Amino acid sequence: MKRILAAAAACLLFCAGSTACAAEPEDEASFRIVTSFYPMYIICLNITEGIDGVSLENMAGQQTGCLHDYQLQSKDRKNLERADAFVINGAGMESFLDDVVASLPSLTVVDASEGLAVVEENPHLWVSVSNCIRQVENVAGGLAAADPAHAAQYRANAEIYVEKLEALREEMHEAIDPLPNRRIVTFHEAFPYFAEEFGLEIAAVVNREPDSQPSARELANTIRLIRETGVTAVFAEPQYPESAANILAEESGATLYFLDPCVTGEDDPDAYLDAMRENKAVLQEALS
Amino acid sequence: METVYQVMEALLPFDWMEFDYMKNALLAVLLITPLFGLVGTMVVNNRLSFFSDALGHSALTGIAIGVLLGIDNYLASMLGFALLFALGISMVLDSGASSADTVIGVFSSTGLALGVVLLSASGGFAKYSAYLVGDILTVQPEEILLLFLVLLAVLAVWVLLFNQLLLVSVNADLAASKGVRVKLLEKLFVVIVAVIVTISIKWVGVLIINSLLVLPAAAARNVARSMRGYHGISVLISMLSGVAGLILSYYLGTATGGTIVLLSAAAFFATFALSKLRAR
Repeated sequence: MKRILAAAAACLLFCAGSTACAAEPEDEASFRIVTSFYPMYIICLNITEGIDGVSLENMAGQQTGCLHDYQLQSKDRKNLERADAFVINGAGMESFLDDVVASLPSLTVVDASEGLAVVEENPHLWVSVSNCIRQVENVAGGLAAADPAHAAQYRANAEIYVEKLEALREEMHEAIDPLPNRRIVTFHEAFPYFAEEFGLEIAAVVNREPDSQPSARELANTIRLIRETGVTAVFAEPQYPESAANILAEESGATLYFLDPCVTGEDDPDAYLDAMRENKAVLQEALS
Repeated sequence: METVYQVMEALLPFDWMEFDYMKNALLAVLLITPLFGLVGTMVVNNRLSFFSDALGHSALTGIAIGVLLGIDNYLASMLGFALLFALGISMVLDSGASSADTVIGVFSSTGLALGVVLLSASGGFAKYSAYLVGDILTVQPEEILLLFLVLLAVLAVWVLLFNQLLLVSVNADLAASKGVRVKLLEKLFVVIVAVIVTISIKWVGVLIINSLLVLPAAAARNVARSMRGYHGISVLISMLSGVAGLILSYYLGTATGGTIVLLSAAAFFATFALSKLRAR
């Protein structure tokens, strides 16, 4: 039901948006920012907060999750055609990007991951708070360059958000650093940057490819690995089916917890901060 | 359930029996494969293999409806849609408007396309790709019980109605003249196929479910000399390839469903060669 409503609401918004654009000259002058998916949307929500004449839209929708294998729909293409800036995560997350750039050469693309060290082609950079701060700075810089009229406001907002993120990082270090257990098992490769930041060791990653179920042998090997290394916590993501994670936890005697990589969620500027605080609490429970 | 596990461990002291999920998967295979071997014989006899394929495709739409309605367990929405779908096909077929393969083709592609459209409306079709290849390793004890009950029900129908079903498939006119209610039996058979396809689709997968239904029976038909032998060999091939496929997939690290299907296919070609040799 929720989805029907969401789809209907999206349709309405879309129709309303397009008619408003055509009718009111005021809106034509506004700077349209489109973000590729949820983490970028939250970053931009903070950067554009309270700025008049700037509109923000999330292309993939709040519940889509990671863009692996996302297929660009015709409404996305139309959306991008009318955009002034397209904010992407980069580092290979937007596999459709080459197509978009080729067909819309005049579109300004703001790559949030510019200058960040990408490990093993893993695009989940924002899951580390430090990387997220760098992304905020990159996006603010990119938007300021693309829209000089609002540059000062973007930078001011970014500064406020970065301060909040730095406080969050501090808080999480204080909570996680003293925890005695450091070894964890995760599903879907969203957490290497997060683990690196907080000195956690990922003993195994199951389901390297999102949405594919691990084979029987892979499950068996992981269960043995967990038993041998004495890992007590298996972390799944709320976005993915937990059936295989359940099996793993049950058979190995470890406990199943959920860590949120913040790829889906509410339309709320504090969503990233809240999700990370939640993760902090989960880790405190799981690793103490 | 614990006692069943203990018995299995005592009987099969192998490396892969260490894990409960493998025991569950083995139990599920031991229940699903005879079911498919048995019903498959009639599917092949009645030239319905394309029809059961269409039913598998319709499951995707059933899942999509479940997702849209916010139902957690898609079984109800899949079953509901599959039954409507199956009876829909059989009604259009009865009207004699087009040939059977055309009608089924129309329904099959509609079911698949509707499922893809509805599921991709939220941009995330990939999430449901597990249903395409299936995942027997995640089968739960209560689901095994459900499979067991379905197997019992199908066996009961087979024992009670086999002769009539056979008569209808050999010669519907003759069956009608002997007082068999042909239309009712045909509908009943269609419903049985719809139920077993829907119930097992989560573990077997949309893409390969039909192979499991058709291949063992087709292989058995190559070599069987009597109706009894036909059924026996079909169930045997189905179970053997099921169990062997599960174990092989454990050691090779391959997808279980696909491995089982390849073994059944190998059985088909082996029996095919055997029957050609015999004919000479």
